[in-house]
Amino acid sequence: MVNQLSRFLLASFLVLAFSYQTNAQGTVVKVGNAAPEIALPGLKDDTVRLSSLRGKVVLIDFWASWCAPCVQEQPELKKLHTQFAKQGKFEILGVSLDSKRPAWEKAIERLAISWPQVSDLKFWMSPVAGTYEIEALPFNVLVDRSGKIVAINLHGKALEEAIALQVKMPAQNP
Amino acid sequence: MRKISIIASLVLGIFTLNIAQAQVTKEPWTAAELKSTEDLAKQINDPSAAQPVIINVGPQAVIKGSLDAGAAHEHGNIDQLKSILAKQDKNREVVLYCGCCPFEKCPNIRPAFTALKDQNFTKPRLLDIPKNIKTNWIDKGYPVN
Repeated sequence: MVNQLSRFLLASFLVLAFSYQTNAQGTVVKVGNAAPEIALPGLKDDTVRLSSLRGKVVLIDFWASWCAPCVQEQPELKKLHTQFAKQGKFEILGVSLDSKRPAWEKAIERLAISWPQVSDLKFWMSPVAGTYEIEALPFNVLVDRSGKIVAINLHGKALEEAIALQVKMPAQNP
Repeated sequence: MRKISIIASLVLGIFTLNIAQAQVTKEPWTAAELKSTEDLAKQINDPSAAQPVIINVGPQAVIKGSLDAGAAHEHGNIDQLKSILAKQDKNREVVLYCGCCPFEKCPNIRPAFTALKDQNFTKPRLLDIPKNIKTNWIDKGYPVN
């Protein structure tokens, strides 16, 4: 009887441990994983792909014109873009969770954003919000030249340092 | 004795600070006027239940059957909300929601709920969305437009 109970408890423990492991592995967006492809309409209704920026360090900036902290962060991103993009090794891809095209376009114009912008204008219903497991905005993912995630949701000085480090690193063969 | 007075002063100070903070963060809604997402989803899914008027005051009307007043902080959208409310029975339950972001960061729910309260509806409600409409509604499989 005691043996049976022990076996049952051990089996339950193993099942729970395995479920936990499976759930932990279910996370797609984590450092070291390949960044999931993003293929969304740009401002000219052309499809812009994250993979088209392969070879550069890319900051994927998830934002929206309705998100005040995201809008506040744009001048900081502009500084980073000016600082690092001129060497041709860095780019920002703005992915907006806006729902209305005029608001999205107006914000880009007002903030004088010069890096590529994409949006399917589906607000929180955008599939990209699910793929990238976004829980709140602003959110960003830093991707190295081979397309691997190297940092998640860094801001301010920490973001600048992470970009500087990646840009300095020699290109590796994928 | 001196120790006791110091402790008493500290306690009084903390108490006063708490009251001051509560006054600063006073919201236009009461706890009783907050409606849970679970309750609203059940209500929408139950054809025999009395249906509230559900109005989006954020970037997009996500919830099934909801009317779109537009983001309340944008020019002209409070008037849009008022014109939707003007057509409703004052005794009907009215549920406002935004869901762009947590309540403390949302620029829409306060002006919208204040406008709703000004209209003297008997059952004004604000949908309690602690994080955003994705996490607290879409990801739960609740009905969407």
